[in-house]
Amino acid sequence: MTRALGLCFMLLAGAAAAPRTAAAQAAAPVLAQGVRAYDDLDLDGAAGLIRRALSMQGTGALTPAEGDRALMYLAATELLRDHADSARAVARRLIVANPRFRPDELVFPPQVLTFYEGVRRATPAVIGRAPADTAIRPGTEALTVRLYASTFHDVTATLARDDGRVLRTLYSGPVGDSLDLHWNGLDSSGTAPPPNGRYAITVTSLDRQRRAVRILRVPLEVTQGRVDTLPHPAPPADSLLLPERQPMGPGLRAFAPAALAGVAIVVLPGVVANGEDASGARFVVGGTVTVAGLVAFFSHHPGRSIPANAAHNRTLRDAWRREDADVARRNAERARGMLGIRAGTPVLLTPEAP
Amino acid sequence: MTRAVVLVFLVVTSTAQAQSGWKVSFGVSGGPEIARWRFGTTRERVSGLVLGGEAVAARGHLVARLRYGQGRVTNDTAGRDVAEGEALLGYKARPWLTVWVGPHARTFVVPGQSDRRWLFWSGRVSARGTLFPGRVESFVDLWQGVTGSLNRPAESASGGGAEAGLVVRLARHPVWGRLAYRIEQGRATAVGRRETVEAVTLTVGFDR
Repeated sequence: MTRALGLCFMLLAGAAAAPRTAAAQAAAPVLAQGVRAYDDLDLDGAAGLIRRALSMQGTGALTPAEGDRALMYLAATELLRDHADSARAVARRLIVANPRFRPDELVFPPQVLTFYEGVRRATPAVIGRAPADTAIRPGTEALTVRLYASTFHDVTATLARDDGRVLRTLYSGPVGDSLDLHWNGLDSSGTAPPPNGRYAITVTSLDRQRRAVRILRVPLEVTQGRVDTLPHPAPPADSLLLPERQPMGPGLRAFAPAALAGVAIVVLPGVVANGEDASGARFVVGGTVTVAGLVAFFSHHPGRSIPANAAHNRTLRDAWRREDADVARRNAERARGMLGIRAGTPVLLTPEAP
Repeated sequence: MTRAVVLVFLVVTSTAQAQSGWKVSFGVSGGPEIARWRFGTTRERVSGLVLGGEAVAARGHLVARLRYGQGRVTNDTAGRDVAEGEALLGYKARPWLTVWVGPHARTFVVPGQSDRRWLFWSGRVSARGTLFPGRVESFVDLWQGVTGSLNRPAESASGGGAEAGLVVRLARHPVWGRLAYRIEQGRATAVGRRETVEAVTLTVGFDR
């Protein structure tokens, strides 16, 4: 009984998986049949098979490289069927999808190659490749978007907000085979990164009449990183600084004993011998002591500058100022912070129908 | 008595110098001295020159000082010989502060009369301050008699005094000089006698 149930389950699972596998394997063989039909000059059959292969979606659809190959065979088929407009439309579709695609000269006849080259030159378009997720330091580093062009033409590249308002023009000029677009992460002022949000790099391809024929839009999501600033160095401690002028203290400390002695000589007679008129001789001694104190005071040159100490302090202060300026500069850099940039899938818009 | 004290002190200081660790200095002094007496309503003023000498011995915190002076003070009508001295033992509580104790005496000799002597056992405080390190110092001494006596008439006495001035030491020489002003007063209240002595003293000394 259990074995019967297991067998039924396996059969049901196989039945459910079979159609999906068949669909996954469908596009490539169909394309192969179409190519064989093309080689056999069964052009109608080839066109039908290739279109069928191209129309297949899902896991069994053609890979991008197979899709490019299918489109090229379809364009050649339509050209050989004298359906030039259809061939041009298919070729243009291929060029827009992959401007770098070039047909194999050993496979396709010269008339097809010439036709494709003519369409390519008349179909200005670019595709872009940007890192999916990166971080840059605004102002010093840059996000690079590599553009590949179908043909030589003029482009205008801008950074725009999600609402379409242009933030910065990144490039305006010709593009040949490829071009690197750089955005340094700063806004229109050139001093600060834009606020967090959704942005887009828009590359507009212009024709010879400078009309916008195609617009490549690379969506960006910008996130500013957290800012850690360095502490500013403390100014030189007072204990490290030397007095730049002779202090008053030593002079006063030298003068004070003399002053006290002088005052004592004048005052003490009235205390010790109250009621007696002390002689004026004491003033001679008191004056001598006081004068000696004044000499001692001025011998310390209070207030006079000390060049060696001033130079020492200047060296310390200059070193501190340099360090402080360096920290300020590094903080200014850090204030810009790291800018996280996540690029979405590029989208190509065509104002005019291909 | 005074001479005996001087002799004893000189013997002590000489012995002390012979031993290591003692610092001894000697000095000679001289200067004018003015003495005033007040006895009831009687007042008298005499002045003259007093010469003297001193010796100081110090070891560690202990200091001993001996001073002796002798001279003659006169006025227009009278004259007296005066001899004064002190013998003090001190303790250096701080490098700049010394506390002293010891006797302090002064005797006036009047011809035809017995000597009049003031004797005090005094306590004294000396403070020094530096103007130029090792070269110039100022000082102030204050003393107060703990007990005292006057021998004629025999009475107990009280008194005190002060001295202040400047000490100068020569660089690289053990010679020093001192200019000081001194004032002292003794009082015998019971008999209404009061004597005040002022002096300006110039002392030259040397350290050994």
